Amino acid sequence: MILGDLLGTAVHDPDGGWLGRVADARFVLDGTPRQLLAEPRLLGLVVSPHSVASFLGYERTGLTQPWPLANLLRWRHRGSFLVMWEDIAMIGAGSVRLRPGFIRYNPQLDDRGQE
Amino acid sequence: MTPSKGPLAPAPHLAGRTLDAQLHLMDRQVLDHDGVPVTTVDDLELSGPAVDEEIPPGTPAPVLTALLTGPVLGTRIFGGRPPSARLIRIPWKDVAAVDVVLTLGVSGENLDAGWVERWIRDKIIARIPGGRRDPR
Amino acid sequence: MKRLLGVALGILTAIGGFVDIGDLVTNAVVGSRFGLSLVWVVAVGVVGICLFANMSGRVAAASGRATFEVIRERLGARAGLANLSASFLINLMTVTAEIGGVALALQLASSVNYLLWIPVAAVAVWLVIWRVKFSIMENVTGLLGLTLIVFAVALFMLKPDWGSLAGQLVPSVPEQETAWTYSYYAIALFGAAMTPYEVFFFSSGAVEEGWNVKDLIQSRINVLAGFPLGGLLSVAIAGCAAVVLLPAGIAVTSLSQVILPVAEGAGKLGLAFVLVGVVAATFGAALETTLSSGYTLAQYFGWSWGKFRRPAQAARFHLAMIVCLLVGSAVLATGVDPVLVTEYSVVFSAIALPLTYLPILIVANDPQYMGKHVNGRAVNMLGMVYLVIILVASVAAIPLMIVTGGGS
Repeated sequence: MILGDLLGTAVHDPDGGWLGRVADARFVLDGTPRQLLAEPRLLGLVVSPHSVASFLGYERTGLTQPWPLANLLRWRHRGSFLVMWEDIAMIGAGSVRLRPGFIRYNPQLDDRGQE
Repeated sequence: MTPSKGPLAPAPHLAGRTLDAQLHLMDRQVLDHDGVPVTTVDDLELSGPAVDEEIPPGTPAPVLTALLTGPVLGTRIFGGRPPSARLIRIPWKDVAAVDVVLTLGVSGENLDAGWVERWIRDKIIARIPGGRRDPR
Repeated sequence: MKRLLGVALGILTAIGGFVDIGDLVTNAVVGSRFGLSLVWVVAVGVVGICLFANMSGRVAAASGRATFEVIRERLGARAGLANLSASFLINLMTVTAEIGGVALALQLASSVNYLLWIPVAAVAVWLVIWRVKFSIMENVTGLLGLTLIVFAVALFMLKPDWGSLAGQLVPSVPEQETAWTYSYYAIALFGAAMTPYEVFFFSSGAVEEGWNVKDLIQSRINVLAGFPLGGLLSVAIAGCAAVVLLPAGIAVTSLSQVILPVAEGAGKLGLAFVLVGVVAATFGAALETTLSSGYTLAQYFGWSWGKFRRPAQAARFHLAMIVCLLVGSAVLATGVDPVLVTEYSVVFSAIALPLTYLPILIVANDPQYMGKHVNGRAVNMLGMVYLVIILVASVAAIPLMIVTGGGS
């Protein structure tokens, strides 16, 4: 599938409750090793309840400048969380459904853009 | 399923480097192994899952198979979807490094992503006198 | 010594390259209608362009990424395309205006109709872009553009009453004008000083010339000394108009009226200088805007670009510029008044400013791009203040254009 189709899709809990939209997809470079880089494996999705617009780079904790732009963008994405691939029950054309008992993880990255 | 209050659990620690599609990959410049711009990352292709099908527990996670470019940019912005055959792919195995640009480990000269550039070069620009002259 | 010469050359080029047809026309129009009561806007605009040109240059030197690559990466495909459409159209308008300016100046010098000069000017622009080395192109047009200093000389030779001229510097609406037209021309002047193509050109030029962080001091001196002095040149243009045209009740509508005060103050020799200066300044700006059209398109779509490459190695980039020059010439061939195109292009520039300057400010704070060269606190504060000013100007531009009927 194409990632652009997934971004912005609504995310629901198993009972159909609205959780937010897919703001980003997180990959980890630990798939099958290729000649140059390992294959990026889908780790999970970043779900944002308020805004589907880009974080403009402010998903990283260390980025706090310029005030108040950084604070404003972070506030727009308050309540966003990371949900692991294992907790995704179905990816549909208009909706992503999570499994019962899914866990919300902190989506923030460190200053180098890593977890 | 009540919305959790308080700090969220930190994500499990991972050995590999993490890449966020929007933050690290989408819309970034792609250079070939000589540093010549090839295209931007207009979209990304995943190996799965099948749309609208239940994912059985324990299914291995899909992987990122290719960078996409070409008409997919238009459909990403205006909606719709080009037929799969019209997607121009740069397979992930050709990607050598991810930084503020994506660097390929191959020459751009043979990639499908470069055909418009090559066509305009061969049919128009190279035919104008001085078109192949080095300006330096 | 060589280093000192380099610095001097850089500053002189920045002064000569600062003024383009937009600055020439807008400052003369404003001077002839509002005297010097809008000079404060030029000052605000100059500080703004210094701030953001410097920032975009620093991003380019630290990361090797030019401004429109940054815009696409941070705003994403959709908002990036909105910005591209706006910036590209304004750029095309500015290319048209600059070529028209070259042709009009050549008409004044030769009494051959400007429509005949248009193809000459367009082909000359293309030839320079096709053949001439980037640094030579910049330095020659910049140095020749310095002859516009004759506006300052003329202002002195007109022997104005300096006291009353200085009295005009206080921001106030002249009685024959309304607050609406005053605000409209304030935005036009701001747009002329802060035109986005300047940062596209500046940052791409940094990549063309292969700057690294070691060149940052040189670039900072060029900008911080050159642009304000270029701004003074703008003020001198407005001053000349304020001294000669305002009392005579002549509102500037043509290029000959822009240079009329120079002929009156500095005679035939002054006229010769100002014609060379106008041709050089508009020709230089035609080069910059044409290149900027190519830069923005290529950087958004990820094409190979740059004058440092053989044209065949940046084929789409060169083709795009050829098409822009053809379109610009075709628009002028319809007989549309280049001065009018200029007046609208500077106002539209003001509208497109926020989407250009926001991503620069954000990325200049991103250590992934900048390493340790991220913005300092003072720069960020000033950047945020300007972002607000830019936003206000951008939102107000269209309503003011409608209310004032385009400033008339």
